[in-house]
Amino acid sequence: MMTTINAFLAAKGLYLLTLLLLSLGVAGVIVCNNYMKKLICMNVMQVAVIFFFLCLGQKDPGTIPVAMNEAVKAAEYINPLPHGLMLTAIVVSLGTTGVGLSLLLRIREKYGTIEEDDLLKKQAQQARRDKKRRELHHPGDSE
Amino acid sequence: MRRAITIILLIVSITVPFIAFDVLPVIGDPESAPNTHVSDYYIEHAIEECNSPNMVTAVIVDYRAFDTMFETTVMFLAGLSVVIILANRPKSRIPAPESLKRLRDTSGRPVYTTINKDVMISIIEPVILIYAMYVLFHGEISLGGGFQAGALIGMTYLLDIMVVGRKRPIFNLPKEKSAALAGIGPFIYALTGFVSMIGGGLYLEYNKMPVPVHQAELHSLGITAVEIGVTIGVAGTIITILNALTERISFDDDNN
Repeated sequence: MMTTINAFLAAKGLYLLTLLLLSLGVAGVIVCNNYMKKLICMNVMQVAVIFFFLCLGQKDPGTIPVAMNEAVKAAEYINPLPHGLMLTAIVVSLGTTGVGLSLLLRIREKYGTIEEDDLLKKQAQQARRDKKRRELHHPGDSE
Repeated sequence: MRRAITIILLIVSITVPFIAFDVLPVIGDPESAPNTHVSDYYIEHAIEECNSPNMVTAVIVDYRAFDTMFETTVMFLAGLSVVIILANRPKSRIPAPESLKRLRDTSGRPVYTTINKDVMISIIEPVILIYAMYVLFHGEISLGGGFQAGALIGMTYLLDIMVVGRKRPIFNLPKEKSAALAGIGPFIYALTGFVSMIGGGLYLEYNKMPVPVHQAELHSLGITAVEIGVTIGVAGTIITILNALTERISFDDDNN
């Protein structure tokens, strides 16, 4: 029994940790009330996806994908494709984080808060105020 | 309710793949599906076809150069959208009176001087920039590449503006100039493609570039030109985002 568990963890244990990280990120995005925390959890999710891809690129006797000598055998080097794809994904995640931060800044400037329930309350207040003002200016013209 | 949904989602997202784990290959298996097919071709032909011992660079800027061009463009557009989102006039801030400002320097916690702020930053920033240049120009020979070099340059700028109490930054880029710089990067990338079209090749087919060097050198040349474009694009975008964000937020020790 112990040996089967050990063999399983050696073969696929990293996937388990990666899935744990991914579900932590998803849980954070759903549960957190603060938009900044949601953004951080989104970044955690992205990191989990990157780990997952790097797991797929691993080869057991392989070394880093830089050719050491002229004769190159494919079994000696790890897979360069996931590394290349994830390199661009990391940089693009930086861009998305920047856009998210700037949106948060605008929300903060407009409503004075980035807590979700406060924000919804303020939006409802504003909608009520707008409706009242519309009725004041155009009476009898109710929706 | 929300927490219940989360817990159900957690259990599902962990256990269902756990049961169906045979879909995923064993980690480190050289015969698994992601490690065969096209990957073997990339590893074995990178040197002779791209003249680039670093296979990751060969994949991203030679075999998949068209893909990377639009990744750089996405980066530039992200920086541009940050500028556009924050383009409205900020709420006016009432500046502190002069007497309060003078008081601020002497009241509260003492303004400490550390070796980090005064000496180490000036020493360490040029070293980081030299390292970024090394990473850029050795991108196709050893580990490195344009994205990493751009991130290093951007992080140097971040280090520079985040350290408290520095009056003069090491390189000064206002936000209009940095947004233009971020656009120059994808432009250099696209221009490299057109240069190889002038030589009679396809778009981004480096070995048809009309430059009088040896055939094998042309690939290194093309890769380096493209990497310079990527570096400028990424560094410019990071600096643009930083500039746009830091302009709108205020710290306690700002002088306004």
